[in-house]
Amino acid sequence: MSDYTTGIKELDDPIGGIKKGSNIMLIGPPMSRKEVILYNIMYHGAAKNENAVITVTTRESATHILEWFKENKLALPLSRVGIVDCVTKTLGGGAIENENIKIASSPVDLTGIGVKISQFFEEFFMKKNIRKTQLHINSLSTILMYSNIQTVFRFLHVFTGRIKAAGALGIYVLESGMHDEQAIATLKQLFDGMIEIKSENDKNFIRVIGLSPKPTPWFEYEIEGANVRIVGRK
Amino acid sequence: MIETGIPKVDEFLGGVKPKGKNLVYYIQHGVEGEIFVIQTVYNSLKNGGTCVFVVSSTTPDNIRNLFKEFGWDIDPYKNNLFFVDAYNPLIGALSNEKYVVSNPDNIEDFSKVITDVLKELHPGTIVFGSLSTVMDLCGETETIEAVRSWNKLAMLYDHVMVYNFTAWPYSRETLDLIKKDMFNAVISIGGIAERVIFGQYFGILKSDWAKETKKSMLFRVLRPGGIKLFIPKILVTGPFDAGKSSFVHALSTRAISVDRFGTTIALDHGHVDYKGFSADIFGTPGQERFDPIIKLLSGESMGIFLVVDSTNPTDFVRAKQMLEITKSYGLPYVVIANKQDLPGALTPEEIRKQFNLPDDVPIIPAVAKDKIGVYEAFEVLIDKITGESDA
Repeated sequence: MSDYTTGIKELDDPIGGIKKGSNIMLIGPPMSRKEVILYNIMYHGAAKNENAVITVTTRESATHILEWFKENKLALPLSRVGIVDCVTKTLGGGAIENENIKIASSPVDLTGIGVKISQFFEEFFMKKNIRKTQLHINSLSTILMYSNIQTVFRFLHVFTGRIKAAGALGIYVLESGMHDEQAIATLKQLFDGMIEIKSENDKNFIRVIGLSPKPTPWFEYEIEGANVRIVGRK
Repeated sequence: MIETGIPKVDEFLGGVKPKGKNLVYYIQHGVEGEIFVIQTVYNSLKNGGTCVFVVSSTTPDNIRNLFKEFGWDIDPYKNNLFFVDAYNPLIGALSNEKYVVSNPDNIEDFSKVITDVLKELHPGTIVFGSLSTVMDLCGETETIEAVRSWNKLAMLYDHVMVYNFTAWPYSRETLDLIKKDMFNAVISIGGIAERVIFGQYFGILKSDWAKETKKSMLFRVLRPGGIKLFIPKILVTGPFDAGKSSFVHALSTRAISVDRFGTTIALDHGHVDYKGFSADIFGTPGQERFDPIIKLLSGESMGIFLVVDSTNPTDFVRAKQMLEITKSYGLPYVVIANKQDLPGALTPEEIRKQFNLPDDVPIIPAVAKDKIGVYEAFEVLIDKITGESDA
């Protein structure tokens, strides 16, 4: 199996894990609990695959994310985790950086976000000698609310390139139905594949596209606490 | 007269920026460049100047707090520091600042406020925290035109204009205009990268009032403290008797070796000052029994010279092994094909073939004992470290 996996066996088995240097869009409708799927990938990456995981958060504060793991009794290895918090300063809250948390000014401050990501990359790669890194951006939709598509494309162009060069994994969350098709098509050029989520008749489904010769089937999933459970196949 | 307060920058720029001039900090994305304007503003305030800070990607209060993070108390100067708030209106929040751009994505609104500032205030330093954000919001062409007119007006009213610009992949035309044409002075701020950015440098790309340019310095950002120059460590390694000590001594302005009967048993240390760069050079022993020392010496190195005896290809396996030991963090390296004056010396291309080295690894022919090729090798490695060779 590859160094990078989703942690969901039914998805990982058919694709044989994710190739290093891959950039993946995680796209799904609001309230499909994408963030739990992302947190699972984060936990699996850091705790099981022993990767460094850098998460850029524009929706929840870094403290809130770390609390989620605590509440759900998932022992996240903090020495491998870095969170770029773009929320706390925007809300005017006390913003203190520590080993795990770096604070960016706002989701508009792509320059600042880029600097903080680079600093975590350096810290993990150079100082801690961790060679496998995952970069998660949750979410591009918030960034797109403040910046136009060209600006976000330029930003992603740089970081998807760095992910490839470093043999890392990039996962970028996008809300479906919030952006026009052209914007999504523009962004898709930068990605190697997608983890796609859809909701039908109060049921949630997930599949992976572009990382294996054929898309995986749609799997129905349920979330209990922090667990993502596959309950059926479409 | 206004100083940036950044070590070496004022020296490189001839001490001061004359009034009416403009300067851009041209920053590679991912590199911590925001500090350059922060330090410029603080230094200007400290020297009794008036400053205007144009914020586009965060609140003025966050910028005020940033000064505190660097250990700089701006309270005594608060009457001389003004903000142009182009952020709060963007997120629909109220602003308490005197100058507010009500539609930050409209360049005409921007221009109106900047024009008011330039006309109303005493001559001072007008600083843009992020010109790239203005460009992202208002468009490349529109922003370039506006900057030209602001610079003209500033010249008329004796203001100094300072811009932070992050060089995201904008059009080549825009980047060239900013880098070469639009400003009186351009200070390039870049990152040393090999898979990740692990060091930062700045250099004067252009200045129309200072004589000496093209100098670069590595720096670190300390909180508190601000910008501090950084002297890197460069490692010299290679098999026994390849000429490492000769290389260190040839390159260095001063050097010392810990040796026994002419064979290095601990290290060579030298210091080189060349073309605006200064560096500490550490030479390793070549014998296998000293390999643990090599590991110790290679820590925190920023680049490696691998010295090989061009007449002794049997040692290439050992050279490769040493490279593996020292290059544990993927550092930039240059191979020195030493002893080119001896009969039977292989050419760099023959060495590349035998060594099976990728095409992008420079191999420099050298005769270290006669100082031939050593400075060329230093320049090539510095270029690799600072990313110049990739440009």
